[in-house]
Amino acid sequence: MGKFIVIGERIHCISPVINKAMQERDPEPILKRAREQIETGAAYLDVNIGPSEKGGEELMKWAVTTIQQACDNVPLCLDTSNRKAIEAGISVYNRSKGKPIVNSADAGDRIENIDLAAANDAIVLALCSKAGISSDNDERMGYCQELLERGMGLGMDTEDIWFDPLFLVVKGMQDKQMEVLSFIKDLSDMGLNSTGGLSNISNMMPKHIRPIMDSAMVAMAMYCGLTSAIANPADLRLMETIRSCDVIKNNTLYADSYLEI
Amino acid sequence: MPFKPVPQKFNAKINSLTVGTGDRTATLGGESSYPFYGFDAPIENRPKIGVEISDIGADNSLPGIAEYYKGCSTLPELAKRASEMPGADFLAISLDGAHPDNGDRSVEDTTALVKEAAAAVDIPIVIEGCRNIEKDAKLFEKIAEALDGRNVLFLSAREENYKSVSAAAAMAYSQKIGAESAVDINLAKQLNVLISQMGVKTESVAMNLGSAAAGYGFEYVATTFDRVKSAALAQNDNMLQMPIVTPVASETWTVKESIVSEADFPEWGPAEERGVNMEIATASACLAAGSNAVILRHPESVAAVSKLIAELI
Repeated sequence: MGKFIVIGERIHCISPVINKAMQERDPEPILKRAREQIETGAAYLDVNIGPSEKGGEELMKWAVTTIQQACDNVPLCLDTSNRKAIEAGISVYNRSKGKPIVNSADAGDRIENIDLAAANDAIVLALCSKAGISSDNDERMGYCQELLERGMGLGMDTEDIWFDPLFLVVKGMQDKQMEVLSFIKDLSDMGLNSTGGLSNISNMMPKHIRPIMDSAMVAMAMYCGLTSAIANPADLRLMETIRSCDVIKNNTLYADSYLEI
Repeated sequence: MPFKPVPQKFNAKINSLTVGTGDRTATLGGESSYPFYGFDAPIENRPKIGVEISDIGADNSLPGIAEYYKGCSTLPELAKRASEMPGADFLAISLDGAHPDNGDRSVEDTTALVKEAAAAVDIPIVIEGCRNIEKDAKLFEKIAEALDGRNVLFLSAREENYKSVSAAAAMAYSQKIGAESAVDINLAKQLNVLISQMGVKTESVAMNLGSAAAGYGFEYVATTFDRVKSAALAQNDNMLQMPIVTPVASETWTVKESIVSEADFPEWGPAEERGVNMEIATASACLAAGSNAVILRHPESVAAVSKLIAELI
């Protein structure tokens, strides 16, 4: 098993600074966040340009080339509901450090993003849901099978489909947490890769609590076999937990400086 | 059902490290497969053999060694003869005479001697030091300066002296350094981390993971090498992708099997033959476990091990 993969979540158009930089094509604020995330341990960077129905293709191309050229071709996760923008991004993407990730497909309206990934030799994040949150693990597994079969039918390697169980907010859905973990275990038992927006679980909690809750969740999820997460690598406690779990799982060989590398 | 081979492919490779300059260089590593697994991926550079000589002269108590170095009395003469040994890829100069307990030759005198020896040969050079931590740091600094431009590999930087060895040899004079740990897998990685945090390029670093003579705890050596190679290739750990250089002779020519006389152990047969066999057995085991280079002394061992490598690759 390789090391746990952190997809840095901080290049997101919901942030006013990033949104402004994207609109004005100002590279610096975006590159600053890109460099910080690489420095703190992100293996991939998520690039969320929002729905971007107008001008999304051109924006995604600009974002991909700007970030990759400045950051030694860091691999990227192309995050938008605009399919053409993802395709445009892939057309200028440099694969020397890793395949692009299509973020994301689901078993509903976005199922064709599997086809897009297959046609472009990309990785795809596959949400185990159709419309809204799945009610139980049987439903999640049904969608998982559907997405898996579609990808395999198009000739994808199963390791290029990263299944997202959908992490659920603790405040309000506390009783569902163990179910999500159990689903991650099922994916792991099937030899499948998994990922997800980890910090969902701590939504609406006080700011100082969130790293603690996220760290506990990532440790339990890694024990169940989670292979990746979309997370904030600037969260030191979270990253220390992930690196420690990587050592305990023998995903990486221990050295005294393991927290620094 | 016909056998269908499925190659084991890794998206990672061992770093290539070149020692020497000009027409005669030795490149270690570069492969993206387990040792000798040429059926999985082409092996870019076959494992290399270094011939070890000492600054205190050849061991003339061994007839085969005495015969090979006949007529050589100075270090430059020994160096020249060793560089002509069939199967030799590089020269390894051991600075035993500089050790405080073994003559304590000064840094200046030793440097001058090494410089003279280096001038006599065009083969790539590895400097093994005297194995005293403080003295080696001083020696390496001066020798790195004296052999500027020769692209020499220094064995070794250890936990106690890696800072000065890295700064002097690798950073000031762009020479290569080996990070030495004594069969301690976590320290091996940690040293590489510390050396790279100093600003030394990982491509300038080799690893001496330590060794043991065959039969002297070699299982532990083998599992250590295995774990390092699997971290480097299967886990793409760039802090363990340095090629492995293993001084074998210094381990095998000190064990009982190699040194007790035939007079004391008549049933064991001639001492030199035993010593050669220990050297060959240990070197072969190191290569099978993952060494990208082994350092040997005896011409017969060099001949046998180079034949083994040629036939396996």
